[in-house]
Amino acid sequence: MIYNNRGQLKIQQMAFMLMAITLFFVLVGLFVLKINLSELKQSAGTLEEKNALLLVTRLANSPEFSCDNSFGSTKINCIDADKVMMLKQRIQNYDDFWGVENIEIRKLYPSSNKSVECTLDNYPGCEIIKIRGGQITPEYSNFVSLCRKESFEEKAEDKCEVAKIMVSYKGVD
Amino acid sequence: MRDYKKAQEEIVGFALILIVTAVILLIFLVFSAKNNQKEAVESYEIESFVQSMLQYTTDCRDFLEPLDIQKTISECKNKNSCVDGRDSCEVLNSELKNILEGSWIVNSGSSVKGYELKIISGGEEMSSIKKGNETLNSKSAAQFFQDVEVYFTAYY
Repeated sequence: MIYNNRGQLKIQQMAFMLMAITLFFVLVGLFVLKINLSELKQSAGTLEEKNALLLVTRLANSPEFSCDNSFGSTKINCIDADKVMMLKQRIQNYDDFWGVENIEIRKLYPSSNKSVECTLDNYPGCEIIKIRGGQITPEYSNFVSLCRKESFEEKAEDKCEVAKIMVSYKGVD
Repeated sequence: MRDYKKAQEEIVGFALILIVTAVILLIFLVFSAKNNQKEAVESYEIESFVQSMLQYTTDCRDFLEPLDIQKTISECKNKNSCVDGRDSCEVLNSELKNILEGSWIVNSGSSVKGYELKIISGGEEMSSIKKGNETLNSKSAAQFFQDVEVYFTAYY
């Protein structure tokens, strides 16, 4: 009877041990799964970030923005402000074209520090060309020259200013 | 006494399993924690800034048109004046200073701690503008045209 009791105790001990080890490994597995899932989300976010960074470096040279040969010789990192103002009017045709949430061009110099948004009525006496509405941060930005044609003594002259192009991307939820 | 020792051995074994698993998890965590932070100043920003700065149209004119910074550097190098009589080198320095101040915010709270712009022509320093502190982290860009060298460094 004593041996029977001891045997039962041993089996009980073994069962508890197996349960504890199984529970421990299940918890470890859940932990690893959680990390993997968060990494997946993070890498999706990193991809979006990389896309925004790549876009900001090549956007100024894309046909929709670039100066081409309108301002004498071919300029790189040059945005045609007149062209962009027209693009702003037809931005609804460019939904998801660049895969970013917002694009903004902000004049740096000369600037009146008033941060006036450009419309067809106040252009070129303004500082910010918002291609789309919404907030934007300077995290993904690049320097560009913002050029336009200006009238001087009844002839058109080129006027280039220093500006920054900024893009914002949709974060991963 | 024998049973007591056996129980002790089992507890030590269980503790060992826990410790080994914890160490493996820790190593896994260290390797998976990658640092993907964006730098305060990127190389492409510096290069684009120098290009944009050289394309900026100044209010110094020749007989045909207003000159951009690149042409104003050439005028300054050749010791020519603007059509309104102003010294092209003075206009150049004043415009460069204003462009730099408008484009780079340098203060204790900003990510950029300082910058330096140097224009060298034929081995001689034509213009040098410096602001803020030189730190160990920096990004530079250079542009060459005719015999003019333009160097810009941002410290962060």
